[in-house]
Amino acid sequence: MTDGLIDQSEPLLSNEPSVALATLVAATGSTSKKVGTKMIVGESGRLIGGVTIGGCVDAQVVEAADALLETGGRRVLSISLDDDEAWEIGLTCGGTVDVLIERVNVHDIVDPVAAAHVAARASLARGESAVIATPLDGEPAALVLSEAGARHGTLGDSALDDAAAAIAADVMAGGSRIAPIENAGATRQYFFDRQSPPTTVVIIGAGQIAMSLTRMARELDMRTIVVDGRERYATRERFPDADEIRVGMPSEIVAAIAPTKRVAVVLIAHDYKYELPVLRALLRSPVGYIGMLGSRKRGDAVRALLSEEGFTDEELARIHTPIGLDIGGKSPPEVAVSILGELVAVRSGKRA
Amino acid sequence: MTAFRAIVLEHFRHPRNRGPLDDATASAEGANPLCGDRIRVQVRVIGDTIHDARFTADACAICIAAASVLTAHVRGMPVNDAARVEPRWIHTALEGEPPAGRAKCAMLPLDTLRRALAASGGVAP
Repeated sequence: MTDGLIDQSEPLLSNEPSVALATLVAATGSTSKKVGTKMIVGESGRLIGGVTIGGCVDAQVVEAADALLETGGRRVLSISLDDDEAWEIGLTCGGTVDVLIERVNVHDIVDPVAAAHVAARASLARGESAVIATPLDGEPAALVLSEAGARHGTLGDSALDDAAAAIAADVMAGGSRIAPIENAGATRQYFFDRQSPPTTVVIIGAGQIAMSLTRMARELDMRTIVVDGRERYATRERFPDADEIRVGMPSEIVAAIAPTKRVAVVLIAHDYKYELPVLRALLRSPVGYIGMLGSRKRGDAVRALLSEEGFTDEELARIHTPIGLDIGGKSPPEVAVSILGELVAVRSGKRA
Repeated sequence: MTAFRAIVLEHFRHPRNRGPLDDATASAEGANPLCGDRIRVQVRVIGDTIHDARFTADACAICIAAASVLTAHVRGMPVNDAARVEPRWIHTALEGEPPAGRAKCAMLPLDTLRRALAASGGVAP
């Protein structure tokens, strides 16, 4: 687990009957992680993930989590990032972070938070986003709302659940946040935690850059599908880290993959025999990213051919070529870093 | 530009019979294992005659041009005659031979057609 959900099948959790789950629920100023990022602190002292990039904040969260494992319950820990000592030497980050810490009985299906994480994981496995709504104080409760509208669990009563569902629809599009809900004359704060399926990177061309991409993408929580027409290239031996390897006609394989915003297609075969048919299959689909290896001149030539076939300027502008961020690298691992850098920029909204 | 190159480019940009054949009676898929050309040839055989032939390919210009001329040629042809089409017929149709090292690109559609016809029960490949 990094930013995501408790995974009950995670070997590190097999000997942890209960854990403290710390979730970054709000942040102001210059923070290094996004709202929703999590850390698990086990009874044994085991740590998984982190709510900040490191340093003194995570240490304070671990300390609070250790205490909460003794007492049970939940609390919000507010931490100022204006550390006095850091201020003196000009290293302060500035701002505050609020971290919800709650004890979760990981393997207890009656525990509402553990059950919510199981339900949310099932939603992600179906390719749907999910929002977990949970109160910031009081008794533990959790409601999971899937992208398709399914509900699992409850916040206490149907009026609360309906109000949470209305907010979840907005969170699904805008991202995790705290929101108040008024019910029976009282107002409570709830955290709405959006969980999205990982980006799937479809790699066309099973060459050396693809080998580097599959290794590095795993670290970035991206799924990879390697596609090629050549059985001798697209082998498990060459791609031990790929989630899937598919051999066949690349344009047909790509067309059969559900074309969502969370699919990125990376054309690195550097061969028009794959580029043109795959682009024909993709340019009018809603995939989130299309990148093609090659020079600007080559990209223009491919666009010109497709333009003759009736593709519009707007459709052709979706092709990122030259692919990747310009970091000056030439070797396959360096090109892979540049491609993944661009995919991260697109995922975080820094690039269209 | 040579006649060969002009014909290949014209068929690559405007291929005849490209796309799936919904009511095919037989189909075969072929690949050049190193360059990655992939093609599927589908035929509709009624009695002893090829009533229709189409292809789907992620392949180079030479391969697509060869598939284009070949599928147009065998439409309406008796299965046995189609199975006996020679490689040199492809060269004649394209008005030249592929450059060194690209002969397999032009032959892949013919080889795949023969296997499709064999799958239809017509002739041995």
